[in-house]
Amino acid sequence: MSAPELLYGQRPANTFGTKAAPLTKDTAGEVVLKRAQVHYSLFELPMANVLPRLPTALHPSVPAAMGLTVWKCPEGPLGSFSVAWVGVACRTGIKPRHLIHGAWCDREDVSLWLRARYGVDCTLAAISSLETWDRAWSKIEVAGVPILELVTENPQPLVPGSTVKYSPVLNAARVEDAVTLVQMESAFDFHRVLRGVPRLPVYAAEAMGDAGLSPHYPISGTWAEVDITLLPPRFKLDPEIPAEQGGASRL
Amino acid sequence: MEFGLIYELSTPRPFTRETQKAVYENAIEQVVLAEQLGFSSVWCVEHHFLEEYSHASCPEMFLTAVARATSRIRVGFGIATCVPAMHHPIRWAEKAAFLDILSGGRVEFGTGRSSTWNELGGFDAVIDDTKKTWDEYIRVIPQMWMNERYGYEGQFHRMPERNVLPKPWQDPHPPMWVAVTAAGTELEAADRGMGALILSIADVERCAPRIAAYRERVKHATPVGAFVNEQIAIANWLYCHPDNALAKQRGDELVGTFGYMAGQTIEVSEAYPANNYKALGLLSSLRPDPSAPDAQKKPPESGLCFGSPAQLIETCRRWEEAGADQLVFMVQAREHLPQQEVLDSLKLFGREVLPHFSRQARRPVAVNA
Repeated sequence: MSAPELLYGQRPANTFGTKAAPLTKDTAGEVVLKRAQVHYSLFELPMANVLPRLPTALHPSVPAAMGLTVWKCPEGPLGSFSVAWVGVACRTGIKPRHLIHGAWCDREDVSLWLRARYGVDCTLAAISSLETWDRAWSKIEVAGVPILELVTENPQPLVPGSTVKYSPVLNAARVEDAVTLVQMESAFDFHRVLRGVPRLPVYAAEAMGDAGLSPHYPISGTWAEVDITLLPPRFKLDPEIPAEQGGASRL
Repeated sequence: MEFGLIYELSTPRPFTRETQKAVYENAIEQVVLAEQLGFSSVWCVEHHFLEEYSHASCPEMFLTAVARATSRIRVGFGIATCVPAMHHPIRWAEKAAFLDILSGGRVEFGTGRSSTWNELGGFDAVIDDTKKTWDEYIRVIPQMWMNERYGYEGQFHRMPERNVLPKPWQDPHPPMWVAVTAAGTELEAADRGMGALILSIADVERCAPRIAAYRERVKHATPVGAFVNEQIAIANWLYCHPDNALAKQRGDELVGTFGYMAGQTIEVSEAYPANNYKALGLLSSLRPDPSAPDAQKKPPESGLCFGSPAQLIETCRRWEEAGADQLVFMVQAREHLPQQEVLDSLKLFGREVLPHFSRQARRPVAVNA
């Protein structure tokens, strides 16, 4: 039997995570963010744009897709804050993940906490979110310039619970001085879920982290009121070695 | 208990013409052998755009080729997708009847609704409606078969009175089935008097209560067609080898390959939250569940048919005692195994396992079958 040709990312590992932050030892345990509002949308984009941007350890979802996520967290041990990120849908072995290529936060101290805990490298930004009867709406502005406006129109209620699945995100961090993909993993307890049609009045691709990655075809948009439990980082992945070949391990 | 084969027609990259042809030809060769060995059915899925995982976009063509190369084995749609963006119900009635004639009355008509964003999104289907459209299709298709002329006003289609041709060879019509993935769908099958083609259970102990519930519920069925098709077929894997350990190793390879392929697709539940899609599709219990806690990541092994003949006699006996009428096997994944190894596994199963089981299934009454 000859080895089959598989569909992995094509980005050389040595070009990956050049700005990766060192991970510090986690002591916070689980962090619960009560009554958060999560605005999430998924779009398709051309596979040809994705393969050169994923490291060789990851394979893309088929079709290629990217997700936009905005969390508005009104209460919890970190205080009130908002955070947002954009990521490409990918797989570590069989597991669905999103590889972050841009992240934003509206508080510097929370941004530093996310960076130290998960390696998420957030840009300081103004982040707004609002649910109205006809739509859910989110906006990110950096230095007064809008870089993202995400709208989910005609929201319809869904049964909360297992109808909604958010993929955990991966981002590059330095662990023991090596560039490593670290997973930011959360558990969700849904109170209310709406689904609608996503639209992007503003998407500044370069400012969103990669000029070559833009949403092309809308899949779905959701707005949820949810209790989020941020779990300590548990897994890491060598960006050069696929999970099924032993690239994934515990931190 | 009876035994069958089920095909996804998974295909390795690179997708050359020669590779694609080999996948189809190898599958047909396996079915021809299986018929000689005493297998009683072959099923073919319908999938679209599922790279590597399944290149079975036209099950009716595969089944026609199989039917013309065989004489007894029954040919099953596993399943015909009942979604308006993909197929009109008239077309399914026509295709199934056409194949029923060409096969001499060997069609099993499995129905379903698709479970991936790849497919439903690709056809721009209305995802929220797929349960409703399935219910409308399964009611009207038997009427098209049984009535000389038929017309209807449905929620999703309407047709003035027409004679849908040809009529099937089996009288009054082929047995009707539904693919069962989410828990509870077997009861929907029972309520409608349809067979349950169970694609989501690999564990005998977990399956037994669901089979019992189906048997109880089907007693009170209101059949969508002319008769109740009280049958339960369960999708499974097969690799039979004298060396039990080697068989299990090969089984792990098949499951791993299958999981890799299925894992790349985008399930509806991952992409398009909907009240009618809460479970993983794509044979979720025959592959590791990506969303499960770590301890449950691997599929349950108690019912998978990887092993020596003695081991498989025991496993199949447990399925029989649980109430299954048929086990339908996947025997290949992306041509991972050499064709000769697949044929050898089938021969060993046919020679040393299959004779231990009665072939008297709960066959429904279909006069010409």
